[in-house]
Amino acid sequence: MQTLNSYAPEIIRIVMAVVGGAVVVFGNALVMGYMERKLAGHFQRRTGPMEVGFHGLLQLVIDGIKLMSKQLVIPAKADKPLFMLAPIISFAPVFLPLLVIPFSDRIQGFDLDVGLLFVLAIASINVLAVLVAGWASNNKYSMFGAFRAVAQNVAYEIPMLLSLLAIVFMTNTFSLRGIVEAQTVWFIVLQPVAFIIYLICMVAETNRAPFDLAEAESELTAGFHTEYSGMSFSLFMMAEYTNMFIVSCIATVFFLGGTSGIPLPYFEYTGIIWFLLKVYLFMFFLVWIRWTYPRTRFDQLMNLCWKYLLPISLVNLLITVVVVKL
Amino acid sequence: MNVDVIEDERQHQFVLNMGPQHPSTHGVLRVLLKMEGEYVLDPQPVLGYVHRCHEKIGEYKPARAFMPNTARMDYLGALIYNQGYAMLLERAAGIEVPRRAEYIRVITSELNRIQSHLLWYGAYLLDLGAFTPIMYAFDDREHILDTLEDICGSRLTYCYCRVGGVCKDIDDKFIERTRAFIERLRGRLPMYEKLVNGNIIVQKRMKSVGNYTPELCARYGVTGPLLRAAGVEYDLRKAEPYSVYSEFDFEVPTEQQGDAWAAFNVRYREIEQSLRIVEQALDKLPEGEVMEAKVPKKLRLPQGDYNCSVEAPRGELSYYLVSDGSDIPYRIKVRTPSYSNLSVVPEVCKGMMIADVVTSMGALDLVIPEIDR
Amino acid sequence: MNVKAMQKKWLELGVEVEETEYAKTGYDFSLTLPAEKVHALAEVMLADGFYLVFVTAVHALPAIEVVYQFALASSPRCRVMARTAVRADGTVPTISDIYQGANWHEREARDFYGVVFAGHPNLVPLILAEEDVDLKPLLKEEKNLKDISALRHLPAEAEPKEEKAPAAAKKEPAATDKKAAKPQASN
Repeated sequence: MQTLNSYAPEIIRIVMAVVGGAVVVFGNALVMGYMERKLAGHFQRRTGPMEVGFHGLLQLVIDGIKLMSKQLVIPAKADKPLFMLAPIISFAPVFLPLLVIPFSDRIQGFDLDVGLLFVLAIASINVLAVLVAGWASNNKYSMFGAFRAVAQNVAYEIPMLLSLLAIVFMTNTFSLRGIVEAQTVWFIVLQPVAFIIYLICMVAETNRAPFDLAEAESELTAGFHTEYSGMSFSLFMMAEYTNMFIVSCIATVFFLGGTSGIPLPYFEYTGIIWFLLKVYLFMFFLVWIRWTYPRTRFDQLMNLCWKYLLPISLVNLLITVVVVKL
Repeated sequence: MNVDVIEDERQHQFVLNMGPQHPSTHGVLRVLLKMEGEYVLDPQPVLGYVHRCHEKIGEYKPARAFMPNTARMDYLGALIYNQGYAMLLERAAGIEVPRRAEYIRVITSELNRIQSHLLWYGAYLLDLGAFTPIMYAFDDREHILDTLEDICGSRLTYCYCRVGGVCKDIDDKFIERTRAFIERLRGRLPMYEKLVNGNIIVQKRMKSVGNYTPELCARYGVTGPLLRAAGVEYDLRKAEPYSVYSEFDFEVPTEQQGDAWAAFNVRYREIEQSLRIVEQALDKLPEGEVMEAKVPKKLRLPQGDYNCSVEAPRGELSYYLVSDGSDIPYRIKVRTPSYSNLSVVPEVCKGMMIADVVTSMGALDLVIPEIDR
Repeated sequence: MNVKAMQKKWLELGVEVEETEYAKTGYDFSLTLPAEKVHALAEVMLADGFYLVFVTAVHALPAIEVVYQFALASSPRCRVMARTAVRADGTVPTISDIYQGANWHEREARDFYGVVFAGHPNLVPLILAEEDVDLKPLLKEEKNLKDISALRHLPAEAEPKEEKAPAAAKKEPAATDKKAAKPQASN
């Protein structure tokens, strides 16, 4: 950050941030796409992609070419402008939260004072995209998916924020860098309840199984993206993967000490390596439970949030506040 | 598909068309769901998308030539369908079957039942959103298919039974592989229990979904695992011991709750019982011929009507044949279990959430070609 | 459920009851009744705990015959075949108000044979497409049509049957002996 701040003029900084963001988004989509298929394969006692490249490493490239060359089918009675807009609404904002995430003590776009609020605010735009997609498709399954997604995301944002607020109270800052620096002991030790609540909400916020009610393949065929094909579908996919990346980053920053870790010898960028390792640990967790658990029912999902997570996170917040103020 | 809101007394009701191409109808079944929000007010199955007129075909060719058709009705229980039809003709023509052939029929039928249940196990959990168990179940099922392929020549639509026996004797290799498979599956069942059956999400999804009572089952003619899940200990292998089933020691698993979870458990436990039967049959396997030699080329059935009921993986399968004394049946009626089991959906699934409709239709273990015949 | 008591009930309804040999036909009782009695019989059957196996029709002369099969879901089996001729106006009373499962079976019979089940709540095509309502695909051609009496079991003649029975009986123990001997040998 200091390097960026002191030496480069503002314009170069912005260009670098945008390029860096794009690299993270697409790089993450490639890594995650490969990782998910390979892991899913091994969870199911098969090999996953093996044909293209060494152990299927180029599979995602081939898939990308296929998706790009596919025709964009727009249903006859769909709302065309909105139908095309939805994937863009979903994909465009995912760059922004990346700007405030402290990848290491040097690599960070901006250190906003309200970093956490910024990330959560931008992340919630995704719900709008899902709703627009469901509405514009003019398909009942899509509508169902969209309704479910909205109800689910709005509900789960509350315990998610409350569990993170407990840490904000402890550190007295919304800045992500400030939170990383405040961790002499990782907050997973001091705030285990908040961590578990955040973990559950993280799965629900990214619409991943077992909380993938918005897609619910066996009930709603493919939920809100039933009618999407080709590149518009892959924009949704990339947005989903980037959202997973962002929530994992937040988890790393808040609970696993961000960049902290044993210094690696002879290497300047220890921080980012530890950071990405922790992030992909969370990603592995997300993939792992997706291929292990069945889907919950919608009312069960809502009950979990309103009856358990919300009260527990409130109590947790209260206790934290009292302890901090004493 | 268009959002066409029905102008009903309540404006916010609408019809959701589930199928004919839908991931959880397991084939070309279409269900019209009249919905209000997430709740299903009136589910109406629409049949006939894969009707292939088996009953009509049966009236146009010699009775024994209908055998391959039976395998095409229920592609998961083909050998049991074979066996039932062969028994019907043997009953009508008064043909005795060699004991070795009866034993082989039982062994293959039970293996067929196990693979049907394994496929259901995986597919049902897939309906609930668990992607992985189906791969494990298919892994096990593959062993059965390979074993049966060796003696029957096909993997799914068998035509193994003949009037008066079976077409090919089993060899030592088959026996060895079957025994190895029994060992293997016995070792794997505890793993399934640990991985899936104890999972709280699985249990919460299935418990108190559906409410089958013995009375409801009688009114709709629901048979098989669903009837046993409602607490009625009725299995045709015990109640009307056909073939050589009376010589084996096995239990009929029953549950009392009558919901999807009970049906799940009944089916799951039936796998173990089928393994027991296969094991005993292999132990007791008599020597001898597998084909009765004195079956006439042109099989004339004495006039009259004949019925033969066997326990298929999904419930009671009945063949009803009316003969006018010639070698061509006058009328063949096949009563398939899924047909009656599915007809219960409008009553049982009324007022459920859409996710529960998927759960309870999965518990029926539908095979659509069997419904449409 | 006592078989004698059930038989008595059926006879009280005015149904012809014929006991059949299970080993030969696959069912225990054959009931023949006029169409008017179908509804009453179904009520009795349900009260006795029978479930409906199927409803179907057989095209024969002089009229299409509707066949019902009932069975008892308990261990001493009892399988009953009930048959009735379609009335002159082509109708048979429905039993779908008693046995709801008959709903689909009756609709199927309507599709294939054109038998109208009077009082059925929803007699629209189930298997056939809606435009094929009057196709009646399972009706036989004139030349293939048989009289109903040609489709009934012939009365068992005493002579050949008795000859056959001991032969079968003789075969049975021989087979069991063989089977009993086999495991010993292998041991």
